[in-house]
Amino acid sequence: MRKIYALFLAALLFGVNASAEDEPEVLRPVTAAYTIEGGTSHIADTYLSPIKYSGWTTSLRYERMQAMKFSPDRWVMQLAASVSLQRALNYVGNSTMWYAGVDFSWGMMRRWQVTPGLTLAIGGEAAADLGGLYAMRNGNNPVSAKAAVTIGATGYAAYNMKIGRLPVTLCWQPSLPVTGVFFSPDYGELYYEIYLGDHDNLVHCAWWGNYFRLDNALTADLHFGATSLRVGYRGMILSTKVNNLVSRHFTHSAVIGVSGEWLSLNPRRRMSPKARIVNALFQNQWK
Amino acid sequence: MEMKKYCLISAIVTVLLSAVLTACHEVPQYDNDAAGNFDLLWKTVDEHYCFFEEKGVDWEAVGQKYRAQITPGTGQRALFRIMSDMLDELRDGHVNLSSPFETSYYRKWWSDYPQNYNERIVQEHYLYFNYASLGGIDYYLLPCNVGYIRWPSFDYSLGAGNIDNILVQFTSATALIIDIRDNGGGNMTNADNFIAHFIASPICGGYISHKTGPGHRDFSEPRKITINPVTKGHLIWGKPVIVLTNRSTFSAANYFAAVMKSLPHVKIAGATTGGGAGMPFSSELTCGWGVRFSACPILDPAGNLTEFGVEPSEGYAVDMTPEDEANGRDTILDFAIAKLTNLL
Repeated sequence: MRKIYALFLAALLFGVNASAEDEPEVLRPVTAAYTIEGGTSHIADTYLSPIKYSGWTTSLRYERMQAMKFSPDRWVMQLAASVSLQRALNYVGNSTMWYAGVDFSWGMMRRWQVTPGLTLAIGGEAAADLGGLYAMRNGNNPVSAKAAVTIGATGYAAYNMKIGRLPVTLCWQPSLPVTGVFFSPDYGELYYEIYLGDHDNLVHCAWWGNYFRLDNALTADLHFGATSLRVGYRGMILSTKVNNLVSRHFTHSAVIGVSGEWLSLNPRRRMSPKARIVNALFQNQWK
Repeated sequence: MEMKKYCLISAIVTVLLSAVLTACHEVPQYDNDAAGNFDLLWKTVDEHYCFFEEKGVDWEAVGQKYRAQITPGTGQRALFRIMSDMLDELRDGHVNLSSPFETSYYRKWWSDYPQNYNERIVQEHYLYFNYASLGGIDYYLLPCNVGYIRWPSFDYSLGAGNIDNILVQFTSATALIIDIRDNGGGNMTNADNFIAHFIASPICGGYISHKTGPGHRDFSEPRKITINPVTKGHLIWGKPVIVLTNRSTFSAANYFAAVMKSLPHVKIAGATTGGGAGMPFSSELTCGWGVRFSACPILDPAGNLTEFGVEPSEGYAVDMTPEDEANGRDTILDFAIAKLTNLL
């Protein structure tokens, strides 16, 4: 019995090894991008003011995408982090409102190669956003804190093309939170009261009726060499209505930065000649 | 081709969806003319001001009365006057309209009452111009062996160590007088930090609530304000205290008087304070003018509204007499000294 068991184990191990050797090694480079973004900001927050504010926004963003290990041809993950600073003025320009915030997101998308140059992907995303508006003219209500943890849908359409001899990747990626939780002070509540322990009506379940956010990014990666130039547009629409308070926050930004593919190789291990590179954004290299 | 069509449809749906859903969250805007700014001011106060019921103000009628004065030719200064007159109907010292050329104040909460305080008399005839000052606060040990602290504004902040340094000068004193006449308020936290030196255990400092919606009766349940004693190692004053007040004792000083009055070893002497028991919020108009108004009612430790002032302790109501003032005497301070030295 013991002999039969040993033979079975050996067959299993050899079988597994044999099938692993048949599979070409998959290398999953990270597509990373570092961008600076700048543009216009439009803010209205009725906790602070009934007046709409307009001004500028600037942000730094890091983003990385990588094919996922369990199914690299089909699934891709994306991690993004950004910090932003905004300054806006009221209608007559005598009052300033600042916004500072950080956004994190992690998403996982299923992708399809529709045509040799076009890849479409759709999936889910978890995001955490933290920030605050500061109205400089206000006394006891100078700040409107912003915090949200959401899950939602995201996806992208990536298209490879050439402009002359220059390879270019165009990518459009919308993100749409579907639900989650977000923070809002009560209608006329002071933060002093929150400090005293009044935590009623502060955390709200998000749905499109009270929390609507849509991010859109349209980028072009110009592949001049190993490192690419990324240019494009990023827009954000955030609108919340809760506790009889409305907050609307729109930004439109131009994007510029660098992107590239990074591959970690183990110098103590030779790369298999059969190794296959699975790109994070698209499935086909340029032909 | 099918997929391109799908992408195009998706993009159109997304844009339409965002347009429709964000349109639900409207922020109504008002024209930057006389009528538009007037309407925005009226609505802001209508939805956020907290004492309509207590003051019996019919804001709808007030709005109609002053809106009728607006014409297409109403200029900025005339508009400012109409608006500030409308805000005066609230009879609230926490209500101001601020423009580049003027800030409005409702003054009758103190101007219709005796001042009951003359700083020069106190400094010359009681402190002999020989008092110590620390961070805007004056203190002096009176010849009758009673400590005197003058806290003119709760915008002035002292740390626990600073307050220790004042109180330690009065170690031998039999009692303490705290003079907050003409103290127009400031930061409640500064008042709490001072109160913390007069209590040995946590106390209820009162209650605060806020508007939960635009209706005149939309308020949250009052939330207890707890004041903790100063941390271990700092001085706590347990000897008798008299707090001197007048009508110009307002806002955070009004709160200080209300809390101190609830302590067993403290009496309030002088005149009823000016009130100001609504924590003010700020807002603005399309033309850029700022507006401030009471938004969060604060109740005293017994749950009573002190918007109309804190009365002196029973038997401690005193007004300054013109004769005393002419003779360089402070009737209220004399009264407090006499009470603390058992002459009364």
